[in-house]
Amino acid sequence: MFTIQNIDTPSFRFAWHLAKSQLKTKYRYTALGYAWNFLEPALFLVILSLVFSVINRMNISDYAVFLFSALIPWRYFEKTVNLVMESIVGGEWLIKKMYVSPYAFAFNRWVTASFEFLFSITVAFALFIFLKEEWTIHLIILPLSIIPWAMLGLGFGLCCSVLYTFFRDVKPFVQMLLTLAFFTSPILFNSNIFEPGSLQAQIMEFHPVTYLASLFQKPIYEAAWPAASDWIISFGFALIFLMLGIHLVNKYKSKFYFYV
Amino acid sequence: MSDMKNNLIFELTNVWVEFEKHAIQRRSLRETIGAKLKSAKTEKIHALKNINLKISSGEHIGIIGRNGAGKSTLLKVLCKVIIPTSGSIHQINNYHIAPLLELGIGFQPDLSGRENCYLAGYLIGYTKREIENKLESIIQFSELGDFIDEPVKNYSSGMFARLAFAIATDIEPEVLMIDEVFGVGDEFFMRKCNSRMQKLMEKGTTTIFVSHNLDFLITQSNRLIWVDNGEIILDGNPFEVAEAYRNSENNLKLVVTG
Repeated sequence: MFTIQNIDTPSFRFAWHLAKSQLKTKYRYTALGYAWNFLEPALFLVILSLVFSVINRMNISDYAVFLFSALIPWRYFEKTVNLVMESIVGGEWLIKKMYVSPYAFAFNRWVTASFEFLFSITVAFALFIFLKEEWTIHLIILPLSIIPWAMLGLGFGLCCSVLYTFFRDVKPFVQMLLTLAFFTSPILFNSNIFEPGSLQAQIMEFHPVTYLASLFQKPIYEAAWPAASDWIISFGFALIFLMLGIHLVNKYKSKFYFYV
Repeated sequence: MSDMKNNLIFELTNVWVEFEKHAIQRRSLRETIGAKLKSAKTEKIHALKNINLKISSGEHIGIIGRNGAGKSTLLKVLCKVIIPTSGSIHQINNYHIAPLLELGIGFQPDLSGRENCYLAGYLIGYTKREIENKLESIIQFSELGDFIDEPVKNYSSGMFARLAFAIATDIEPEVLMIDEVFGVGDEFFMRKCNSRMQKLMEKGTTTIFVSHNLDFLITQSNRLIWVDNGEIILDGNPFEVAEAYRNSENNLKLVVTG
Protein backbone atom coordinates (compact mmCIF):
# COMPACT_ATOMS: atom_id res chain seq x y z
CA MET A 1 0.00 0.00 0.00
CA PHE A 2 2.79 2.39 0.81
CA THR A 3 6.52 2.25 1.19
CA ILE A 4 8.55 3.81 3.89
CA GLN A 5 11.22 5.63 1.96
CA ASN A 6 14.65 6.58 3.13
CA ILE A 7 14.17 9.18 5.82
CA ASP A 8 15.17 12.53 4.40
CA THR A 9 17.25 13.79 7.30
CA PRO A 10 18.18 17.24 5.95
CA SER A 11 14.52 18.11 5.38
CA PHE A 12 13.55 17.12 8.89
CA ARG A 13 16.58 18.84 10.35
CA PHE A 14 15.54 21.99 8.52
CA ALA A 15 11.92 21.60 9.66
CA TRP A 16 12.99 21.18 13.28
CA HIS A 17 15.28 24.22 13.29
CA LEU A 18 12.64 26.26 11.49
CA ALA A 19 10.15 25.37 14.22
CA LYS A 20 12.62 26.47 16.89
CA SER A 21 13.18 29.77 15.07
CA GLN A 22 9.45 30.30 14.68
CA LEU A 23 9.02 29.79 18.42
CA LYS A 24 11.61 32.49 19.02
CA THR A 25 9.92 35.00 16.76
CA LYS A 26 6.33 34.15 17.75
CA TYR A 27 5.96 36.73 20.50
CA ARG A 28 8.99 38.79 19.57
CA TYR A 29 7.30 42.15 19.25
CA THR A 30 5.03 41.82 22.27
CA ALA A 31 5.73 43.40 25.64
CA LEU A 32 5.39 40.16 27.59
CA GLY A 33 7.39 38.19 25.03
CA TYR A 34 8.24 34.60 25.91
CA ALA A 35 5.94 34.67 28.95
CA TRP A 36 2.96 34.49 26.59
CA ASN A 37 3.83 30.86 25.86
CA PHE A 38 2.74 30.11 29.43
CA LEU A 39 0.21 32.90 29.86
CA GLU A 40 -1.93 32.01 26.88
CA PRO A 41 -2.75 28.45 27.95
CA ALA A 42 -3.07 29.55 31.59
CA LEU A 43 -5.67 32.21 30.79
CA PHE A 44 -7.59 29.86 28.53
CA LEU A 45 -7.76 27.09 31.12
CA VAL A 46 -8.72 29.35 33.98
CA ILE A 47 -11.52 31.07 32.05
CA LEU A 48 -12.91 27.82 30.72
CA SER A 49 -12.96 26.13 34.09
CA LEU A 50 -14.70 29.09 35.71
CA VAL A 51 -17.42 29.20 33.08
CA PHE A 52 -18.08 25.47 32.85
CA SER A 53 -17.93 24.72 36.53
CA VAL A 54 -20.94 26.97 36.92
CA ILE A 55 -22.82 25.12 34.15
CA ASN A 56 -21.78 21.69 35.34
CA ARG A 57 -22.57 22.49 38.93
CA MET A 58 -19.44 20.77 40.12
CA ASN A 59 -17.03 21.95 42.68
CA ILE A 60 -14.61 24.27 40.84
CA SER A 61 -11.29 22.67 41.70
CA ASP A 62 -12.69 19.20 41.10
CA TYR A 63 -14.15 20.18 37.74
CA ALA A 64 -10.99 22.03 36.75
CA VAL A 65 -8.94 18.87 37.21
CA PHE A 66 -11.52 16.87 35.26
CA LEU A 67 -11.62 19.42 32.46
CA PHE A 68 -7.89 20.01 32.11
CA SER A 69 -7.05 16.35 32.03
CA ALA A 70 -8.54 15.73 28.57
CA LEU A 71 -8.74 19.30 27.35
CA ILE A 72 -4.97 19.69 27.12
CA PRO A 73 -4.40 16.72 24.80
CA TRP A 74 -7.51 17.71 22.84
CA ARG A 75 -6.14 21.24 22.27
CA TYR A 76 -2.87 19.68 21.14
CA PHE A 77 -4.73 17.41 18.72
CA GLU A 78 -6.92 20.22 17.40
CA LYS A 79 -3.97 22.58 16.96
CA THR A 80 -1.95 19.89 15.19
CA VAL A 81 -4.78 19.16 12.76
CA ASN A 82 -5.37 22.83 11.98
CA LEU A 83 -1.69 23.58 11.48
CA VAL A 84 -0.79 20.41 9.57
CA MET A 85 -3.87 20.76 7.34
CA GLU A 86 -2.45 23.95 5.86
CA SER A 87 1.16 22.78 5.87
CA ILE A 88 1.50 21.80 2.22
CA VAL A 89 -0.25 24.88 0.86
CA GLY A 90 1.56 27.00 3.44
CA GLY A 91 4.85 25.62 2.20
CA GLU A 92 4.38 27.03 -1.28
CA TRP A 93 7.24 29.49 -0.76
CA LEU A 94 9.66 26.58 -0.59
CA ILE A 95 7.95 23.73 -2.45
CA LYS A 96 8.11 25.69 -5.69
CA LYS A 97 11.74 26.69 -5.35
CA MET A 98 13.73 23.94 -3.72
CA TYR A 99 13.50 20.28 -2.95
CA VAL A 100 12.16 19.47 0.47
CA SER A 101 10.52 16.30 1.71
CA PRO A 102 6.72 16.42 1.30
CA TYR A 103 6.50 15.58 5.01
CA ALA A 104 8.78 18.40 6.13
CA PHE A 105 6.10 21.05 6.56
CA ALA A 106 3.72 18.72 8.34
CA PHE A 107 6.57 17.77 10.66
CA ASN A 108 7.45 21.44 11.20
CA ARG A 109 3.87 22.30 12.16
CA TRP A 110 3.55 19.22 14.32
CA VAL A 111 6.68 20.27 16.23
CA THR A 112 5.22 23.76 16.70
CA ALA A 113 2.00 22.27 18.11
CA SER A 114 4.07 19.96 20.32
CA PHE A 115 5.96 22.92 21.79
CA GLU A 116 2.61 24.53 22.64
CA PHE A 117 1.45 21.29 24.23
CA LEU A 118 4.54 21.18 26.42
CA PHE A 119 3.84 24.72 27.64
CA SER A 120 0.19 23.83 28.28
CA ILE A 121 0.90 20.68 30.23
CA THR A 122 3.43 22.55 32.36
CA VAL A 123 0.84 25.20 33.15
CA ALA A 124 -1.78 22.53 33.87
CA PHE A 125 0.47 20.76 36.34
CA ALA A 126 1.35 24.05 37.98
CA LEU A 127 -2.38 24.63 38.46
CA PHE A 128 -2.89 21.05 39.68
CA ILE A 129 -0.57 21.80 42.59
CA PHE A 130 -3.29 24.12 43.88
CA LEU A 131 -6.26 22.07 42.76
CA LYS A 132 -5.40 18.44 43.36
CA GLU A 133 -5.34 17.02 46.82
CA GLU A 134 -3.61 13.76 46.13
CA TRP A 135 -1.06 12.69 43.60
CA THR A 136 -0.95 9.07 42.62
CA ILE A 137 1.51 6.85 40.77
CA HIS A 138 -0.93 6.70 37.81
CA LEU A 139 0.42 9.98 36.48
CA ILE A 140 3.51 8.11 35.35
CA ILE A 141 1.60 6.68 32.38
CA LEU A 142 0.92 10.11 30.87
CA PRO A 143 3.96 10.27 28.53
CA LEU A 144 2.57 7.11 26.92
CA SER A 145 -0.97 8.51 26.89
CA ILE A 146 -0.04 11.43 24.67
CA ILE A 147 1.41 9.24 21.92
CA PRO A 148 -1.88 8.18 20.27
CA TRP A 149 -3.08 11.79 20.40
CA ALA A 150 0.08 12.97 18.66
CA MET A 151 -0.13 10.21 16.05
CA LEU A 152 -3.80 10.86 15.39
CA GLY A 153 -3.25 14.59 15.06
CA LEU A 154 -0.40 14.09 12.62
CA GLY A 155 -2.19 11.36 10.66
CA PHE A 156 -5.53 13.12 10.40
CA GLY A 157 -3.70 16.37 9.69
CA LEU A 158 -1.76 14.74 6.84
CA CYS A 159 -4.98 13.41 5.30
CA CYS A 160 -6.57 16.85 5.54
CA SER A 161 -3.45 18.55 4.15
CA VAL A 162 -3.58 16.48 0.98
CA LEU A 163 -7.31 17.09 0.55
CA TYR A 164 -6.92 20.79 1.33
CA THR A 165 -4.28 21.16 -1.40
CA PHE A 166 -6.83 20.12 -3.99
CA PHE A 167 -10.05 21.35 -2.37
CA ARG A 168 -9.84 24.42 -0.20
CA ASP A 169 -13.40 23.76 0.96
CA VAL A 170 -12.00 21.07 3.24
CA LYS A 171 -10.89 23.54 5.89
CA PRO A 172 -14.31 24.72 7.14
CA PHE A 173 -15.61 21.14 7.00
CA VAL A 174 -12.79 19.87 9.15
CA GLN A 175 -13.16 22.68 11.65
CA MET A 176 -16.85 21.95 12.00
CA LEU A 177 -16.12 18.25 12.37
CA LEU A 178 -13.64 18.97 15.14
CA THR A 179 -16.13 21.22 16.92
CA LEU A 180 -18.77 18.51 16.68
CA ALA A 181 -16.35 15.87 17.93
CA PHE A 182 -15.41 18.06 20.87
CA PHE A 183 -18.92 18.81 22.05
CA THR A 184 -20.13 15.23 21.75
CA SER A 185 -17.17 13.85 23.69
CA PRO A 186 -16.68 13.50 27.45
CA ILE A 187 -14.06 16.23 27.63
CA LEU A 188 -16.36 18.99 28.86
CA PHE A 189 -19.09 16.80 30.28
CA ASN A 190 -18.50 13.77 32.39
CA SER A 191 -20.28 10.89 30.67
CA ASN A 192 -21.99 9.89 33.92
CA ILE A 193 -24.29 12.90 33.75
CA PHE A 194 -26.20 11.14 30.99
CA GLU A 195 -28.72 8.36 31.60
CA PRO A 196 -27.25 4.98 30.62
CA GLY A 197 -28.88 3.91 27.36
CA SER A 198 -29.81 7.43 26.36
CA LEU A 199 -28.74 8.80 22.98
CA GLN A 200 -26.00 10.95 24.48
CA ALA A 201 -24.56 8.03 26.41
CA GLN A 202 -24.57 5.87 23.30
CA ILE A 203 -22.79 8.53 21.27
CA MET A 204 -20.13 8.70 23.93
CA GLU A 205 -19.70 4.94 23.90
CA PHE A 206 -18.98 4.87 20.18
CA HIS A 207 -17.04 8.08 20.11
CA PRO A 208 -13.32 7.44 19.54
CA VAL A 209 -12.40 10.51 21.56
CA THR A 210 -14.00 8.93 24.64
CA TYR A 211 -11.26 6.32 24.68
CA LEU A 212 -8.48 8.75 23.86
CA ALA A 213 -9.70 11.04 26.63
CA SER A 214 -9.73 8.15 29.12
CA LEU A 215 -5.98 7.84 28.72
CA PHE A 216 -5.73 11.15 30.53
CA GLN A 217 -8.91 11.34 32.57
CA LYS A 218 -8.40 8.00 34.32
CA PRO A 219 -4.88 8.58 35.63
CA ILE A 220 -5.39 12.27 36.47
CA TYR A 221 -8.99 12.52 37.63
CA GLU A 222 -9.98 9.00 38.65
CA ALA A 223 -6.57 7.83 39.91
CA ALA A 224 -6.94 4.66 37.88
CA TRP A 225 -5.09 2.95 35.06
CA PRO A 226 -6.63 3.24 31.58
CA ALA A 227 -8.25 0.01 30.40
CA ALA A 228 -6.76 -2.20 27.71
CA SER A 229 -9.65 -1.25 25.43
CA ASP A 230 -8.73 2.42 25.84
CA TRP A 231 -5.19 1.72 24.62
CA ILE A 232 -6.20 -0.59 21.80
CA ILE A 233 -8.87 1.70 20.38
CA SER A 234 -6.74 4.82 20.75
CA PHE A 235 -3.61 3.40 19.14
CA GLY A 236 -5.61 1.54 16.51
CA PHE A 237 -7.50 4.64 15.46
CA ALA A 238 -4.31 6.70 15.44
CA LEU A 239 -2.36 4.16 13.40
CA ILE A 240 -5.09 3.92 10.78
CA PHE A 241 -5.08 7.65 10.18
CA LEU A 242 -1.30 7.89 10.26
CA MET A 243 -0.94 5.18 7.64
CA LEU A 244 -3.69 6.74 5.54
CA GLY A 245 -2.04 10.14 5.77
CA ILE A 246 1.35 8.81 4.72
CA HIS A 247 -0.25 6.89 1.87
CA LEU A 248 -2.07 9.96 0.57
CA VAL A 249 1.05 12.14 0.70
CA ASN A 250 3.06 9.49 -1.16
CA LYS A 251 0.37 9.07 -3.78
CA TYR A 252 -0.19 12.73 -4.56
CA LYS A 253 3.14 14.37 -3.80
CA SER A 254 4.02 14.79 -7.47
CA LYS A 255 0.98 17.05 -7.90
CA PHE A 256 1.60 19.35 -4.94
CA TYR A 257 3.85 21.63 -6.99
CA PHE A 258 1.03 22.42 -9.42
CA TYR A 259 -1.76 22.83 -6.90
CA VAL A 260 -0.20 24.85 -4.09
CA MET B 1 37.78 16.43 -6.62
CA SER B 2 39.57 15.31 -9.79
CA ASP B 3 38.42 11.73 -9.38
CA MET B 4 34.88 13.05 -9.69
CA LYS B 5 35.36 13.93 -13.33
CA ASN B 6 33.32 12.09 -15.91
CA ASN B 7 31.12 10.39 -13.37
CA LEU B 8 27.52 10.39 -14.42
CA ILE B 9 25.60 12.48 -11.92
CA PHE B 10 22.22 12.89 -13.61
CA GLU B 11 20.53 10.59 -16.06
CA LEU B 12 17.06 11.47 -17.30
CA THR B 13 15.24 8.84 -19.35
CA ASN B 14 11.97 9.50 -21.16
CA VAL B 15 11.03 12.18 -18.71
CA TRP B 16 7.63 13.79 -19.16
CA VAL B 17 6.18 16.53 -17.03
CA GLU B 18 2.53 17.24 -17.54
CA PHE B 19 -0.17 18.78 -15.44
CA GLU B 20 -3.85 19.48 -15.73
CA LYS B 21 -4.86 22.90 -16.92
CA HIS B 22 -7.37 23.43 -14.14
CA ALA B 23 -4.58 23.11 -11.58
CA ILE B 24 -3.77 26.71 -12.31
CA GLN B 25 -7.28 27.84 -11.51
CA ARG B 26 -8.79 27.24 -8.12
CA ARG B 27 -11.18 24.35 -8.32
CA SER B 28 -13.93 23.92 -5.81
CA LEU B 29 -15.52 20.66 -4.77
CA ARG B 30 -18.66 21.52 -6.73
CA GLU B 31 -16.78 22.05 -9.99
CA THR B 32 -14.77 18.87 -9.61
CA ILE B 33 -17.81 16.70 -8.97
CA GLY B 34 -19.60 18.41 -11.84
CA ALA B 35 -16.70 17.71 -14.17
CA LYS B 36 -16.47 14.08 -13.06
CA LEU B 37 -20.20 13.53 -13.56
CA LYS B 38 -19.97 14.93 -17.07
CA SER B 39 -16.80 12.87 -17.69
CA ALA B 40 -15.20 16.03 -18.91
CA LYS B 41 -11.73 15.55 -20.29
CA THR B 42 -9.18 17.57 -18.43
CA GLU B 43 -6.85 19.49 -20.67
CA LYS B 44 -3.24 18.59 -20.11
CA ILE B 45 -0.27 20.87 -20.48
CA HIS B 46 3.05 19.24 -21.35
CA ALA B 47 5.83 21.22 -19.77
CA LEU B 48 8.49 18.66 -20.73
CA LYS B 49 8.24 15.98 -23.40
CA ASN B 50 10.38 12.89 -23.66
CA ILE B 51 13.56 14.31 -22.18
CA ASN B 52 16.64 12.12 -22.41
CA LEU B 53 19.68 13.67 -20.85
CA LYS B 54 22.95 12.66 -19.27
CA ILE B 55 25.01 15.03 -17.18
CA SER B 56 28.49 14.14 -15.99
CA SER B 57 30.37 15.77 -13.19
CA GLY B 58 32.64 18.64 -14.14
CA GLU B 59 30.46 19.74 -17.05
CA HIS B 60 29.42 23.34 -17.41
CA ILE B 61 26.03 23.37 -19.02
CA GLY B 62 24.01 26.25 -20.33
CA ILE B 63 20.32 26.00 -21.11
CA ILE B 64 18.67 28.42 -23.51
CA GLY B 65 15.26 28.75 -24.97
CA ARG B 66 12.38 31.12 -25.35
CA ASN B 67 10.18 32.11 -22.45
CA GLY B 68 7.94 29.26 -21.48
CA ALA B 69 10.08 26.70 -23.32
CA GLY B 70 10.59 24.57 -20.25
CA LYS B 71 14.10 25.60 -19.18
CA SER B 72 13.15 26.31 -15.58
CA THR B 73 11.00 23.20 -15.52
CA LEU B 74 13.99 21.13 -16.60
CA LEU B 75 16.12 22.71 -13.91
CA LYS B 76 13.43 22.06 -11.35
CA VAL B 77 13.24 18.41 -12.38
CA LEU B 78 17.01 18.14 -11.83
CA CYS B 79 16.63 19.77 -8.41
CA LYS B 80 13.78 17.42 -7.53
CA VAL B 81 11.41 20.34 -7.08
CA ILE B 82 9.17 18.87 -9.77
CA ILE B 83 8.54 15.14 -9.87
CA PRO B 84 8.13 13.94 -13.46
CA THR B 85 4.80 12.47 -14.47
CA SER B 86 6.65 9.60 -16.13
CA GLY B 87 10.18 8.58 -16.93
CA SER B 88 13.09 8.11 -14.61
CA ILE B 89 15.83 10.17 -13.09
CA HIS B 90 18.96 8.66 -11.66
CA GLN B 91 21.02 10.91 -9.50
CA ILE B 92 24.01 10.52 -7.22
CA ASN B 93 22.58 11.14 -3.80
CA ASN B 94 25.44 12.23 -1.66
CA TYR B 95 26.24 15.37 -3.61
CA HIS B 96 25.29 18.76 -2.28
CA ILE B 97 23.23 20.48 -4.89
CA ALA B 98 22.91 24.21 -4.47
CA PRO B 99 20.00 25.46 -6.54
CA LEU B 100 19.84 29.18 -7.10
CA LEU B 101 16.45 29.31 -8.71
CA GLU B 102 15.86 32.46 -6.78
CA LEU B 103 18.05 34.30 -4.36
CA GLY B 104 17.34 33.73 -0.71
CA ILE B 105 15.18 30.63 -0.92
CA GLY B 106 14.12 29.64 2.53
CA PHE B 107 14.95 33.01 4.07
CA GLN B 108 12.76 33.99 7.00
CA PRO B 109 12.31 37.79 7.10
CA ASP B 110 12.10 38.02 10.89
CA LEU B 111 15.29 36.10 11.51
CA SER B 112 18.78 37.56 11.37
CA GLY B 113 21.21 36.93 8.51
CA ARG B 114 23.17 34.59 10.76
CA GLU B 115 20.10 32.55 11.67
CA ASN B 116 19.14 32.39 8.02
CA CYS B 117 22.62 31.08 7.17
CA TYR B 118 21.95 28.14 9.40
CA LEU B 119 18.49 27.49 7.99
CA ALA B 120 19.59 27.74 4.38
CA GLY B 121 22.53 25.50 5.16
CA TYR B 122 20.26 22.86 6.69
CA LEU B 123 18.08 23.06 3.62
CA ILE B 124 20.97 22.33 1.30
CA GLY B 125 21.85 19.38 3.52
CA TYR B 126 24.67 20.54 5.76
CA THR B 127 25.08 19.76 9.44
CA LYS B 128 25.41 22.40 12.14
CA ARG B 129 29.16 21.89 12.37
CA GLU B 130 29.69 22.21 8.64
CA ILE B 131 27.77 25.46 8.60
CA GLU B 132 29.63 26.84 11.61
CA ASN B 133 32.94 26.18 9.88
CA LYS B 134 31.81 28.23 6.91
CA LEU B 135 30.06 31.03 8.77
CA GLU B 136 33.03 33.40 8.97
CA SER B 137 33.86 33.26 5.29
CA ILE B 138 30.18 33.69 4.39
CA ILE B 139 30.00 36.84 6.50
CA GLN B 140 33.22 38.07 4.91
CA PHE B 141 32.13 37.46 1.33
CA SER B 142 28.76 39.11 1.87
CA GLU B 143 30.46 42.17 3.43
CA LEU B 144 27.59 42.54 5.86
CA GLY B 145 29.65 43.07 9.01
CA ASP B 146 27.40 43.72 12.00
CA PHE B 147 24.31 43.61 9.80
CA ILE B 148 24.57 39.86 9.87
CA ASP B 149 22.66 39.94 13.15
CA GLU B 150 19.91 42.21 11.86
CA PRO B 151 16.61 40.74 10.64
CA VAL B 152 16.80 40.01 6.96
CA LYS B 153 13.69 42.06 6.24
CA ASN B 154 15.75 45.18 6.97
CA TYR B 155 18.29 44.36 4.29
CA SER B 156 18.54 46.15 0.97
CA SER B 157 18.11 43.99 -2.11
CA GLY B 158 21.85 44.12 -2.69
CA MET B 159 22.67 42.90 0.83
CA PHE B 160 20.09 40.18 0.44
CA ALA B 161 21.61 39.08 -2.86
CA ARG B 162 25.14 39.04 -1.46
CA LEU B 163 24.17 36.93 1.54
CA ALA B 164 22.12 34.49 -0.52
CA PHE B 165 24.88 34.01 -3.05
CA ALA B 166 27.49 33.69 -0.31
CA ILE B 167 25.58 30.92 1.42
CA ALA B 168 24.90 28.95 -1.72
CA THR B 169 28.43 29.08 -3.04
CA ASP B 170 30.70 29.28 0.00
CA ILE B 171 29.63 25.86 1.02
CA GLU B 172 31.29 24.53 -2.16
CA PRO B 173 28.53 22.41 -3.55
CA GLU B 174 29.36 19.68 -6.00
CA VAL B 175 26.60 20.90 -8.29
CA LEU B 176 25.51 24.51 -8.73
CA MET B 177 22.35 25.36 -10.60
CA ILE B 178 21.53 28.96 -11.44
CA ASP B 179 18.35 30.27 -12.99
CA GLU B 180 18.86 33.83 -14.17
CA VAL B 181 19.47 35.35 -10.78
CA PHE B 182 21.91 37.98 -11.78
CA GLY B 183 19.49 40.77 -12.41
CA VAL B 184 20.04 42.00 -8.92
CA GLY B 185 23.25 43.47 -7.62
CA ASP B 186 25.72 46.15 -8.59
CA GLU B 187 28.79 45.68 -10.74
CA PHE B 188 31.10 44.88 -7.84
CA PHE B 189 28.74 42.16 -6.77
CA MET B 190 28.55 40.80 -10.31
CA ARG B 191 32.34 40.67 -10.51
CA LYS B 192 32.60 38.97 -7.14
CA CYS B 193 30.00 36.42 -8.15
CA ASN B 194 31.71 35.76 -11.44
CA SER B 195 35.09 35.26 -9.85
CA ARG B 196 33.68 32.91 -7.25
CA MET B 197 31.87 30.94 -9.90
CA GLN B 198 35.10 30.70 -11.90
CA LYS B 199 36.88 29.31 -8.84
CA LEU B 200 34.16 26.76 -8.27
CA MET B 201 34.22 25.75 -11.91
CA GLU B 202 37.99 25.33 -11.87
CA LYS B 203 37.69 23.14 -8.78
CA GLY B 204 35.41 20.85 -10.72
CA THR B 205 31.95 21.94 -9.59
CA THR B 206 29.33 20.96 -12.13
CA THR B 207 27.39 24.04 -13.14
CA ILE B 208 24.07 24.35 -14.89
CA PHE B 209 22.98 27.82 -15.95
CA VAL B 210 19.69 28.93 -17.38
CA SER B 211 19.93 32.28 -19.05
CA HIS B 212 18.76 34.41 -21.94
CA ASN B 213 22.21 35.92 -22.20
CA LEU B 214 23.76 33.84 -25.00
CA ASP B 215 27.17 35.48 -24.79
CA PHE B 216 27.39 34.71 -21.09
CA LEU B 217 26.45 31.09 -21.73
CA ILE B 218 28.88 30.65 -24.61
CA THR B 219 31.80 31.81 -22.49
CA GLN B 220 30.78 30.01 -19.31
CA SER B 221 29.71 26.64 -20.61
CA ASN B 222 31.27 23.74 -22.46
CA ARG B 223 27.88 22.36 -23.44
CA LEU B 224 24.74 24.17 -24.49
CA ILE B 225 21.24 22.76 -24.52
CA TRP B 226 18.44 24.42 -26.46
CA VAL B 227 14.99 23.71 -25.08
CA ASP B 228 11.85 24.64 -26.96
CA ASN B 229 8.25 23.71 -26.30
CA GLY B 230 9.28 21.20 -23.64
CA GLU B 231 11.72 19.33 -25.86
CA ILE B 232 15.48 19.34 -26.28
CA ILE B 233 16.11 20.66 -29.79
CA LEU B 234 19.91 20.69 -29.74
CA ASP B 235 22.53 19.63 -27.25
CA GLY B 236 26.23 20.11 -27.77
CA ASN B 237 28.93 22.56 -28.65
CA PRO B 238 28.00 26.03 -27.37
CA PHE B 239 28.95 27.85 -30.59
CA GLU B 240 27.00 25.52 -32.84
CA VAL B 241 23.91 25.47 -30.69
CA ALA B 242 24.00 29.23 -30.18
CA GLU B 243 24.29 29.74 -33.94
CA ALA B 244 21.31 27.51 -34.62
CA TYR B 245 19.31 29.22 -31.90
CA ARG B 246 20.14 32.68 -33.23
CA ASN B 247 19.17 31.62 -36.74
CA SER B 248 15.84 30.38 -35.57
CA GLU B 249 15.27 33.69 -33.81
CA ASN B 250 16.05 35.50 -37.05
CA ASN B 251 13.65 33.29 -38.96
CA LEU B 252 10.97 34.16 -36.48
CA LYS B 253 11.64 37.86 -36.95
CA LEU B 254 11.20 37.42 -40.70
CA VAL B 255 7.90 35.68 -40.19
CA VAL B 256 6.66 38.38 -37.85
CA THR B 257 7.72 41.35 -39.94
CA GLY B 258 7.34 39.72 -43.39
